[in-house]
Order: sequence, then structure tokens, then C-alpha cells
Amino acid sequence: MTGAVGLGTSALVQDDDILLAVRDLKKHFPVKEGALQQVVGQVKAVDGVSFDLRRGETVGLVGESGCGKTTLGRCVSGLTDPTFGGVYFSLPTDKRRQLDELLALPAGLRTESDQANLARLEESHRVDVMKGDAWRRYRRNCQVVFQESFASLNPRQLIKDIVGRPLRVHKEASGSDLTEKVVELLEQVGLGRQHLYRYPHQFSGGQRQRISIARALALDPELVVLDEPTSALDVSVQAQILNLLHELQTERGLTYLFITHDLSVVRHMADRIVVMYVGKVAEKGPTDVIFNRPEHPYTDALLASSPEFDRSTVSMQALEGSIPDPARPPQGCRFHTRCPVATPACGWEVDDVVLWLEDVEGTFEDLHSVSRNDAFDAWLTFDDQGGAQRLAAALRTDAIPAAMQAALEEVTVDEARVRIRFAEVDEVQLTARGPNHQAACVLDRSGSRPQN
Amino acid sequence: MSLAGADSATQPTERVAVASVEDLRVHFRSKAGTVHAVDGVSFDIADGETLGLVGETGCGKSVTARSFLRLVPMPPGIQAGGSIMFRPHRSCSACRGEGCEVCRHSGRVPEACQACSGTGCEKCEQTGQHTVDLLTLSEKQLQDIRGNRIAMIFQDPGKALNPALPIRDQVAEVFYQHRTHDLLADAGLDDAGPLLIRRATLKTRRFEDAILALPPLRARRNKLMAAVDTRIADALAETQIPNPRKVMDRYPHELSGGMRQRVMIAQALACDPDLLIADEPTTALDVTVQARILELVRELQQRHKTSVLYISHDLSLVREVCDRIAVMYAGRIVEVAATESIFDDPRHPYTQGLLAAIPAATHERGALVAIAGNVPELIDPPPACRFAGRCDYEASACRENDPTLAQVAPAHDVACFIHHPAPGEERNPSFDRPLR
Repeated sequence: MTGAVGLGTSALVQDDDILLAVRDLKKHFPVKEGALQQVVGQVKAVDGVSFDLRRGETVGLVGESGCGKTTLGRCVSGLTDPTFGGVYFSLPTDKRRQLDELLALPAGLRTESDQANLARLEESHRVDVMKGDAWRRYRRNCQVVFQESFASLNPRQLIKDIVGRPLRVHKEASGSDLTEKVVELLEQVGLGRQHLYRYPHQFSGGQRQRISIARALALDPELVVLDEPTSALDVSVQAQILNLLHELQTERGLTYLFITHDLSVVRHMADRIVVMYVGKVAEKGPTDVIFNRPEHPYTDALLASSPEFDRSTVSMQALEGSIPDPARPPQGCRFHTRCPVATPACGWEVDDVVLWLEDVEGTFEDLHSVSRNDAFDAWLTFDDQGGAQRLAAALRTDAIPAAMQAALEEVTVDEARVRIRFAEVDEVQLTARGPNHQAACVLDRSGSRPQN
Repeated sequence: MSLAGADSATQPTERVAVASVEDLRVHFRSKAGTVHAVDGVSFDIADGETLGLVGETGCGKSVTARSFLRLVPMPPGIQAGGSIMFRPHRSCSACRGEGCEVCRHSGRVPEACQACSGTGCEKCEQTGQHTVDLLTLSEKQLQDIRGNRIAMIFQDPGKALNPALPIRDQVAEVFYQHRTHDLLADAGLDDAGPLLIRRATLKTRRFEDAILALPPLRARRNKLMAAVDTRIADALAETQIPNPRKVMDRYPHELSGGMRQRVMIAQALACDPDLLIADEPTTALDVTVQARILELVRELQQRHKTSVLYISHDLSLVREVCDRIAVMYAGRIVEVAATESIFDDPRHPYTQGLLAAIPAATHERGALVAIAGNVPELIDPPPACRFAGRCDYEASACRENDPTLAQVAPAHDVACFIHHPAPGEERNPSFDRPLR
């Protein structure tokens, strides 16, 4: 076994026993405009995410709001269909190797037999393609616990009906048998027979979350997607729920995909962590590596900005700016607009000039139009010559970061027009940083850090 | 005790609490009975300090905060007793709010008591400072304090800002309400006619606005509007909003959550209040934004020497911003102490439970120390310790008597029989022998 051995369940986790594989998953939402509802753009909520979930482990998915973690959770649980790529459930090891080989081939180079093999694999294992028995099996084995227990429990149904519903739908039990099974489930989550004939509003937040967990466990699933299960709860109740989740995991060998923005919770619960930023994975690796030796500046920033209970000195550091628009994600590394250690190779583009200088008064007030050749190269037309010269001058001052200045290849002033051209940079890919540890950053810190 | 006198700069004056809450009781009428949401809460907020009010959902911390400005709807609320004494300040006359020795660089000095002009009398509890009870003040007098001397930041800036008004109009309201004469002075309109004065209090009707837009008055009105805009821009710039003149014209939905919270803070600090009540100001925000807002609140607090009542359910957050912490449970304060004492030496079993429940790196998974049970119903509670039933150390004394806050160490008050004897009880609970 490689990687970190967590404090809890992970002793039983087999490195090769993969329950769920996510491959290059993309989910784009169209942006529609006007009376005809023309599609004018795509919000790239999830934009090429790959990771594996091993049987019996907990993977934490962290990121700011709007980074696509909930959308990813919904794709994994089959609540929405991905735009591209897929979620593969319960692939045996040989079939997974075959799948990875097939997916590695560009679509044009696949032979007919490859195509047929891929189609066969997808039909029985890809979540959004599978049908019939495979689909039913998946629905039983993947359950979700949502953040808002108020919204996810039907206020007009009794607890018995809410928790018993999955059993009825899958024809597991009926009549008094069903009632007994529901009582058993309620007892497992710390409730009891006296709660059977009550409505959700009669419970406190923590109890409602217990009911959600009981419902998710009704069909004895293998995988539970936990979408911020404790965000709406108080710390003392959160502790109860986290203990319960851990207990159930050890008892039943559950696999958790734990979506949260709370780093102290994820450190406590997860064996491995996937850090997302604007639809992409910034870094993934074992929990203790992510917390002790992060490789991505975004992970640093997240760690620095969360107030920590067991830290004696006050050293909260804030991150500049806000999360970029996922409809127009930044080029290169998506974090470069906020990164404190950005380099010229991080993908500076024309939009960044606007982002930095729009708050400097008098720079863009008389901007007339922008004609782009691509994201790195554009002509900005001003109303008069003065505007163009002001912009060109501003680009030479330290109003913009030094890294951006270094990446600037051309600034030409032609009367009232300015041409801005940056060095073209490809999207930054995830690279290996250690056993099971990957980060998408152009910088490599492993060389500069003493190994121990 | 003399105020702003010539000799007060040399002799250090005793710091008087800017607000003292005494036995505050706010109840709510419900079908099942009277809910004792806040039941005998007492605490002081010293001048210039940040006091954290921590507790779980439903413990009454927001109701306590809202009582300061009488924002609790009555009915169903009932003001069942207690007082909130508030000592308003005014701009320092020695430095005109710039900050000097006399006002300890805060630009504000306490207002002298009107009855005794600063020598100390019954009415001002011998402090010599003008003291008002916020709970019995007339609505009109309270309006002068609300948003002016006491300001509030709400939890969700998306809900607290008016979605139909641009930022300019929302921030301007504060100035129109409380700074009319300063606005007119800024604009150089000391001899303004009644119509302009009405405009500067935002009381003009539509036809009056039309008259003001006519040439004879237009120039003067525009001067006034320019003065308002400058004030708004300054207030927004104070909270580090880039390019405030542009942000002024936007609507709340055009701003990000962090920006909206900054606008709220700008609005709250516009009149340089003596007391700022922050009701979970970062709960609705992301961690990265939260860190920036906290930093901002801390920095502004230090610069303006404003007293802050910081309400939160997150202990680790409160640790970063507060000087002192009051822990609330079921409508009562169970422990008050300096931040370090609360974290290093918690005395009340509930505080200990809260601290242990936070997942830390050292906790083994599945072994978080959760407090057993649920928060009790607050409908007509019996005279017993509210934490009895969830407490590991409870004794018969806890079920029959109501512990009150008492000092157990310097500046450390706890309401628990472990630390002080229960009346007529021989056997008190102790940490050494858990009875359950």
C-alpha cells in the first residue's frame, strides 16, 4: 500500500480495488440570451476532472463555492448527465486498464473493434449510458446525502415513508416487514421507533440529517455522495454526525465522496483529497500530504485562509480577488489571476489587463471596442489617442504584476488603438509530485524542499 | 471622571463600559407556552474592545444583539425585563474627530451626563457620562442612535441590502438621516433654504424634487449631491472597495458576496459608531473571502477604536478577532472570560464540550467528543441549570438550583456549581468524579 495510511478505515483499502472511476468529466451549462434563447456561451462548471474512488475509502472534494464540486457530485451520483467524459462504476481492474488504453487514443485513431469494445464497456459501466439491470444496480449502490436536510426531505411525508421509500421502489420490503426495516435503519443512526410517525419539521437539524443518512443507507449502498452534510449544523452536532458517518463506514465498508468547503472537517474525515478550482482539479493527493506539503499555491491559500482551532498564532492570510467567471475561465493555469507566486508562464491574457486596470480610474472609461485575434492577442480601440497612450503607459508601471509584464510580448500604439499580445501558453496539466500526489502548477517545489 | 477637560489628558481616566446589558429577558409567546429565548443575560462591552458572543443555533445570541436596536418584533416578542445601558459618544472637540491625546486617538469622547454635567450622579451611575436605556428610549430618540451611534452588520448581505436600490442610495440614507448639517456644510450651503434642508434629510416629495431641478436651485442642489457622493465614496473606500465611484452606481446583485459585505460594513461605519454589532458577518461567505472580511473588520476596529459585539457560532473564528468571549447556552451566558482563558482554561462543561467538538488534526477519526443530547426546549423552563441533562458532571444541585454567573478567576466568570457552591447543598458536582 502506498500513500498515507489514515487514522481510521484506510487500513482495509486496497490500492487497486477501484469502485468508481471518473474520466475527463465535463459538465457545461449553456448560457441563453434574448427572446429566442440563443446559446451565447457555456458555463464550464466541471471542465475535465479525473480521479478514482477506491472501495472503502473517503475522498474529500474541496474548493470555494462555484468551483463545481456540487455539480461533480451530481454527475457522479447520476442526477445529471455529463456533457463529455464519464463516470465508470465498478470496473474490474483488467477492464479499467482496457478503458484507459482506449480513452488514451484520440477518437480519430480508434479502429472499429476499439469502438465496439469501448461501446461495450460503456454500456455496462458508464453511469450516463448504462441501462436496465446495470442502471438499477447503480442506483441502488450510489446514494446521496444533501446539504439542506430541510429541502431534501418531503415535508408532507412521514419519516416512515421517507426512509422506507427506497425499499418500496426497489421492492425490498412491504407491510410490517418494511416498518421493521425502517426501525432498524433509524436505530442505526441513533433514532428510534418513536420517530416513525413524525414529519420532518418536528426534528432538529442534526436529527434531520440523521434521517437523510438513514434513507441513503436503506438499500445498503456501496458508495455515498455526501454533499456538505454538516455545513448547516452546529459544531457539537457536527461532531455527532461525523462520528456516526465514520461508524457506519467501518461497519458497512462504505465508500464516501465527501464534498465540503470546511478544511478541518475534510482533514478529519478524508483519506485522500481533491482540491478543485473553477471546474478543474488543482491538486489531489493523500490528506496528510495535502495538508503538510501542498504543491499548489491555491491549496496554500485555502489552508492559510481557514481559521484553525489548534493553531496558537493568528496568521490568517487572505486571497486577493474573487473566483473567475467559469463561462470564461482564465487561460493557462486558472489560478494565475489570484496567485501570489504567478510566473510569466502561467497564461497571462488580454482579459487580465482589463481585470487589473479597470479599477484604476481613467484607464478604460473611453474604451470603444476590442477586437480579439485570440485570448492572448487583441486590439483595443479607444475614443481618442490619449486613452491608448494612457493604457500603454499603465502597462509599463507596477499597476500590473511583474509576471504579467514579463509575459507581455508586444504593446503597439497605433493612434487610438493599442495592440496587446502575450506569450501563448497551453493549459497547465496535472503532473505527478509524489506517490498518488498530483498538482497542476508550473512551479515544482519538490526540488527546493528538503525531503524527509 | 471629567470629560474632555484640560487635565484629563494627563491623568488616565477609567474606562467605562460603552454598553452594559443587565438581566436582559426577551420572551416569545407561542402556542405551546412562553419561550424564554433570552433569560437573564448580563454583560458589559468595554470601550474599544471586541466582545465575542458564541453559542449554538437557537441559544438567543441574535435576539440579544437585536435587542440593542429594538429590532425584535413585539409581538410575538415580549420584553420581559432587564436593561441595556448605552453611553453614546460625540466627536472630540479638541481635534474635530482627527484623533488626539484627549480622545485616545479615536476621535470620539463620551458625552457628558445632562443631569450633572459630568460630575457623576444617580442618573449616570456615577460615571458622569450620558447614559440611556435602549429598551425604554422613545422611538424618536432611538432613531438618532440606530445607525449613528450603534450600527449593525447582518449575516447575509444578499438579503440585508435592498435589491431595488443602487449602492449609492443605500449608503446615502445613513448620511441623510444622521449627518444632514455636515452635508450642508460640506456643500458650502450654510444658508440653505427649507427645500434644500428637506432634500438633505431625504424628505422631499416628487414635486419638490422637480422644483429643485429648476435652474435657480439646481446648482445648489447639485452641490449638495456632490457632497453626498464624496461622503459615500469615502465610506466605500474605507472598506477597501476599489474604484468606489463606479461601485456606487451598481445594484447589489452586480456585486460578489464579499463586496456586498464590504458595502454593509461601509454603511455601518459611515457615521463612526461607538458600537458595532456584527451578527455572523462571514457565515454566508467562502473561507478565502471570510479571511479578508475578518481582516478588514479587525483593521477598522483598531483604527476607529470602535467597540464591537461579534456574534458567531464558530469558536475558531471568534478566537481570531475577539478580546473577550461570552459563551451562551439556552438563553443564558454560561461563561465570560478573555479569549485566551476561554481557550486555554475553559471552566464550564459546555464550553469544554464545544471546544472538544471541533475536529482537529490530533483527533482520531470517529472519536470526536460530541455533547450528548439536544438543546432543551425553552418553553417555561424549570429553575435548574439549563445544561443539566447533557452535562457529564451533573449533581442533584444542578437539577434544583439555577447557577448564576460568578467570578472564579480574575476577569473570568462562570455559571456552574462546580466552581461555586449551590445554595443549601452539601455535595457539589466536580470534574474529578463524573456522576453519570
